[in-house]
Amino acid sequence: MTSQLTRLTRRDFLKLSGTLATASLLAACQPEQETPVVSLPTTESEPFVANETPTPLPAVQLAIIALSRMSFGMRPGDIESFLALGGNDDERLRAYVQQQLNPDSIDDSDFEAHYSAAAFETLYKSHEQLYADHIASNPYDSNNDDYWQWYSKPAHELVDATLLRAVYSKKQLTEMLADFWHNHFNIYFWQDDGVPLVASYNRDVLRSHMFSNFRQMLEAVATHPSMLYYLNQNNSSDAGPNENFARELFELHTLGAENYLGVRDPNTVEKDASGISVGYVDNDVYEAARCFTGWRVDDDLGEWQDGIEITGNFIYYRPWHDRFNKLVLGKYIVADQSDMQDGRDVLDLLAYHPGTARHIARKLCRRFISDTPPDSVVQAAAATFTENHDAPDQLKRVMETILLSDEFKQSWGQKIKRPFEAGVSIMRALNSEFTRVPSGISWMIGMMGQPIFERRSPDGYPDTKEAWANSMSILYRWNFAVGIAENWLNDDDTGATVLTDVYSQTPAEIRTAEGLADFWINRLLGRTMADVDRNAIIEVMAQEYGIQEQLSDDHVQYVLPGMIEVILMSPDFQWK
Amino acid sequence: MPTPILPRRNFLQGCSYAIASMAGARLTNLSFAEQNNSADTMVVVFLRGGWDALNVVPPLQGDDRGIYEQARPDIKISELLQLNDQFGLHPALAPLHDLYQAGNMGIVHAVGLDHDTRSHFDAQEFIELGTPGSKSTTSGWITRYLQGVGASSILPVLSTSGQPTSLLNFTPTVSLSTPEDFSQWDNGLVASQQKALRQLYSGDSLLHRAGTRTLDALNVVSPLVEAEYQPSNGASYNDDEFGQQLKTVAQMIKLETGLRVAAVDYGGWDTHEYETDGNGGYIAELLGNLASGLSNFYLDLDSGYTNRLSVVVISEFGRRLVQNESYGTDHGHGSVMFTLGGNVNGGQVFGNWPGLNNDQLYDHADLAVTTDYRQVLSELMTARLGNPNIESVFPGFSGNYNPLGIYR
Repeated sequence: MTSQLTRLTRRDFLKLSGTLATASLLAACQPEQETPVVSLPTTESEPFVANETPTPLPAVQLAIIALSRMSFGMRPGDIESFLALGGNDDERLRAYVQQQLNPDSIDDSDFEAHYSAAAFETLYKSHEQLYADHIASNPYDSNNDDYWQWYSKPAHELVDATLLRAVYSKKQLTEMLADFWHNHFNIYFWQDDGVPLVASYNRDVLRSHMFSNFRQMLEAVATHPSMLYYLNQNNSSDAGPNENFARELFELHTLGAENYLGVRDPNTVEKDASGISVGYVDNDVYEAARCFTGWRVDDDLGEWQDGIEITGNFIYYRPWHDRFNKLVLGKYIVADQSDMQDGRDVLDLLAYHPGTARHIARKLCRRFISDTPPDSVVQAAAATFTENHDAPDQLKRVMETILLSDEFKQSWGQKIKRPFEAGVSIMRALNSEFTRVPSGISWMIGMMGQPIFERRSPDGYPDTKEAWANSMSILYRWNFAVGIAENWLNDDDTGATVLTDVYSQTPAEIRTAEGLADFWINRLLGRTMADVDRNAIIEVMAQEYGIQEQLSDDHVQYVLPGMIEVILMSPDFQWK
Repeated sequence: MPTPILPRRNFLQGCSYAIASMAGARLTNLSFAEQNNSADTMVVVFLRGGWDALNVVPPLQGDDRGIYEQARPDIKISELLQLNDQFGLHPALAPLHDLYQAGNMGIVHAVGLDHDTRSHFDAQEFIELGTPGSKSTTSGWITRYLQGVGASSILPVLSTSGQPTSLLNFTPTVSLSTPEDFSQWDNGLVASQQKALRQLYSGDSLLHRAGTRTLDALNVVSPLVEAEYQPSNGASYNDDEFGQQLKTVAQMIKLETGLRVAAVDYGGWDTHEYETDGNGGYIAELLGNLASGLSNFYLDLDSGYTNRLSVVVISEFGRRLVQNESYGTDHGHGSVMFTLGGNVNGGQVFGNWPGLNNDQLYDHADLAVTTDYRQVLSELMTARLGNPNIESVFPGFSGNYNPLGIYR
């Protein structure tokens, strides 16, 4: 079963989900158009290397900073709500952060209405139910499409639910963090084993721990079948430890590559006051892999192994555990410890290591502040992480340190939205309406370079602008704006629609190109644009008319989406 | 300046499914810039995940064959395609074996990174930055190569999958998957929108310049959408991502717009488990796709372009000699590289073979590295790419440069 699935490419899955963008469709719908003669750009003597100190962006108000970096983009009214939270910026920011860090206090009825309308069939299921219903006892014949549809249904529903939450939930920081942690503890969605289980991984591991304690989250990750399958831990036994999970545990999940000292004799590594290595070497990875042998999934489908059932739960399988002594990061781990203790010792060593505190702090600061966050805030966040390493709300406190820092308040435009954020922010800004997601939406986010949950390698999607400021990614941001504003993304096959009415959101009394441009620039950006840029927007709206001329309703209906698209395509809409 | 308004509403009604909407500017006459010198177009195929060099080019006979078979009882490859007395090629690479025999493909064995790491991400970064051991370099090796030779053309660099680190800080890179995908959706106002976008993206930041580059590239690429591309010589590309990416590169090369570098990624080589099924199985499928893609690409361009073509196939490292318990292999060290082109001294396996005895292995575990990957790239730059300034591209390396004779 699994080998068959391995061969399914992403395209096959898209076919399963009914997403087809065929050349014939394209050909059928090209407008008749005169053939213009275009002159190619002449050869420019452009400097190759990006200006390292580009012209600084104008400052923006704190409401915009907070809403752009703690949410998937501003919805209409968000700035006003933020401003109502207190008498000055500090008060408002503190109130907003408190609210977002205590999501249970937030009224989320609008999202809940959308969620129940979406009528998901599988997302309520426990991990064990997902395994039983969709893997162990899939009722369909595995030669039929039905089988694969049913197999992948929880995963497809999770993608839809994730988009729905990102667009509609008022618990926006929760959604930002769920995205951050999925990337941090990345698993590839369509990996061969356990596709339906990602619904549980996302809910039971990431979402349920991301405001609480890192050490507990780490163990939840290390014992979840999604991760055990993804990094080959499920086959790791004393006879042949598979080091894949152990390596990424060190390199990506905890200490980070900055604390990797290479292929070295572990005895030569410098130790801290308590005798723990300051960084890790290959030998630590091998020894840790031995510590985790026997951590596997209870999934004896076919092969008979003593004591192994088919519950699909995590199981510590003692016959596979390497019982002998080990040495990890300078700590001697004695032979014959109780069940799981070797692995737990490794998780303790890693979760409480100062290198891990810095690594996690830097990544969070990179996500929420700047591609190159100032060291001061990284240190402060790392200190909070370490001081609270046993606290049940450790990660919440770390977020507080970051989000209330001066560095957070004083940075702007040192990041651009990642593709998923860019797409969601367009739908938020335009009040787009959907319940089930037309397949074109996830397809387009994929074309921007960030198909949802589909990063194959364990490092998660990159979080710096260099990775996303490329022509393909930018072009599909532009196309996405067009697709949404023109209502072109409806899914004829499934009936899923995403509807956006920009005309009815425009005050009837505004009918000049200048007025319409100013209204929508402010509505979408919460600020003004540079004069030359504003003029370019006005020109799109005016077309052949004067910029202060009263435009006919026909003209407005016809051109307004096109003008709004250009604002959404602008660099100003990408910064955060 | 009034813009004629198209019968947009009619168009919209017929096209509720928006993926259907596009029509960029079409070009009826244009004169392409001449390529400004005789340097080859370099195509770098990066196999992400660390390919298993010892199953790609295994020992054919002798003591090392014995060690290999003993180390890999369940995943060894047999029925090799003979390369020379010492090595054979995985049978799934038959189309490349033909190119090898025709003298158009060379192989460099026991090649790799002269730095101690078994981390994918470190190894890829070191290779692509061109500065093993240092991650603080602010530009990729290809960026520095292009700075050395200049790249004044319309479309100097194409990447089919985002911006790889080797091109770090090279702003004129155009990334696109296929010409069909690379088109701006037209709501009837696209000309007016593009005019505005020129203004909006006229700044000097990374983002601004990427936007301007996108607009430039649309002008070059959109005419390609109009006519179905017909590969030459009966070449036929697989409908997978790798095949489609190579097809795109071939199209761009044939445009003769002065394409200097194309970067193509092919992932999935991290074979920790169930690597083989006899001579078939997972890695055989990957290799089959690789061979099909590259051989058809070569065939397609063997219509007057291969004399100015240099393809390099590289991965971040090879894998452990001994198989693991999951019928796979863990991260290793020494790897293998392929070079293709009309000016390759093909039909040979280059490099010094370190042997597979335990004391000959790197860290007593992996194939050792006897040829620094920078040797191969430096020779390529010097012989075929018109940049003999190795020191500027690979700082600190030029003193060790010692060409293997891979290129004519």
